[in-house]
Amino acid sequence: MSESRRALEQQFERILVEHGGAISRLAYRYEAERSVREELVQDIALALWQALPHFRGECSERTFIFRIAHNRGLSHAGKRRLPHEPLDELKDAHHPADPHPHPEARAAQTDQRKRLLSAIQLLPVMQRQMIVLVLEGLSHSEIAEVVGIKENNVAVRLNRAREALKDLMGARP
Amino acid sequence: MIEDLELDSWREQWSGFAEPSADLQRQVRERIDRHHWRFALDNVLAAAGFFGILIFAMFLRNQLSWLGTGWATGVCVVAFVSAGCRIWVLRRAWRPHTHSTRAFLELWHKRVTAQLLLLRISVYVSLGWIVFCVALAANNWTTIGQDVRSHSKEWVALLIICMLVLPGICYWVAWLQRRKTAERNEVKKILDEIDGNNFIDSSE
Repeated sequence: MSESRRALEQQFERILVEHGGAISRLAYRYEAERSVREELVQDIALALWQALPHFRGECSERTFIFRIAHNRGLSHAGKRRLPHEPLDELKDAHHPADPHPHPEARAAQTDQRKRLLSAIQLLPVMQRQMIVLVLEGLSHSEIAEVVGIKENNVAVRLNRAREALKDLMGARP
Repeated sequence: MIEDLELDSWREQWSGFAEPSADLQRQVRERIDRHHWRFALDNVLAAAGFFGILIFAMFLRNQLSWLGTGWATGVCVVAFVSAGCRIWVLRRAWRPHTHSTRAFLELWHKRVTAQLLLLRISVYVSLGWIVFCVALAANNWTTIGQDVRSHSKEWVALLIICMLVLPGICYWVAWLQRRKTAERNEVKKILDEIDGNNFIDSSE
């Protein structure tokens, strides 16, 4: 195996370790059915593997990964027709160590999470993308690079998306 | 400040709900291997199909001389047109996933439009091929007619099979056209949303 190929494989493995969680969460946004979603995560990883040799550092690695993941998710959703049903299986999704040991607090937290995820699922495609990107911690300039809009438009669109999300969550009076 | 707290709370809920599968790396490795095998197999089958048709054309010319002239040329033309279409389709299979969402969607829209155009061209080429076959059969009827009369049952069977297959092909083409049109409309809708045409309406 050549040196460059080995370096590429190491880079790919590192990306899967560092961004595997983000890719899985993003797949949730595009596919509600678990078995198909696992396929989608693998598809995104395959697209990353194919694109990695062409990465020349024109943008940050994170932007590059999110571009590929979102575009792959979009093409999946475009062919499957986007699912708008709530994610029933959220109840058995993996949760990290819970800082609230009380059953009531845990139930409230789970309920909040369900409401958030179901509301995100109901947003129009581009608003969903904006919300997911901001929840993953991307800056406005990174979001602009991923989506392909001007940076000064990001804040306006993000505000609208947040308002829509709050409406859907029933958080507003 | 309230907005930031709200966002932080959402981020906390969001980041905690999904972890990648424990053996994601192994699954991905298997998927990549499968992809490579499939790509190689696709190309081997396409090459085998292409050369198979050329050999069939040679067979037509040498063994089935009673068919008359023009058939081998027609088959060769179909083989080369098919090969050209495949190369054209592969040429368009760029790596669009690295682009921004907008660029990706614009490219996707162009590709689906091109696929719909290709589908329409294929229909016209097929119709042209049928007309070509009929014209050639009429031109060579003196030699073909003898075979038709001596093997009438086989020719009738062939005609019935063709008549049965034709509606199936028409149905498949119509289904593919409907699917591709729906895909193009879906992409256009997302593009409109990204341009802001629907952005306000959709949130209300």
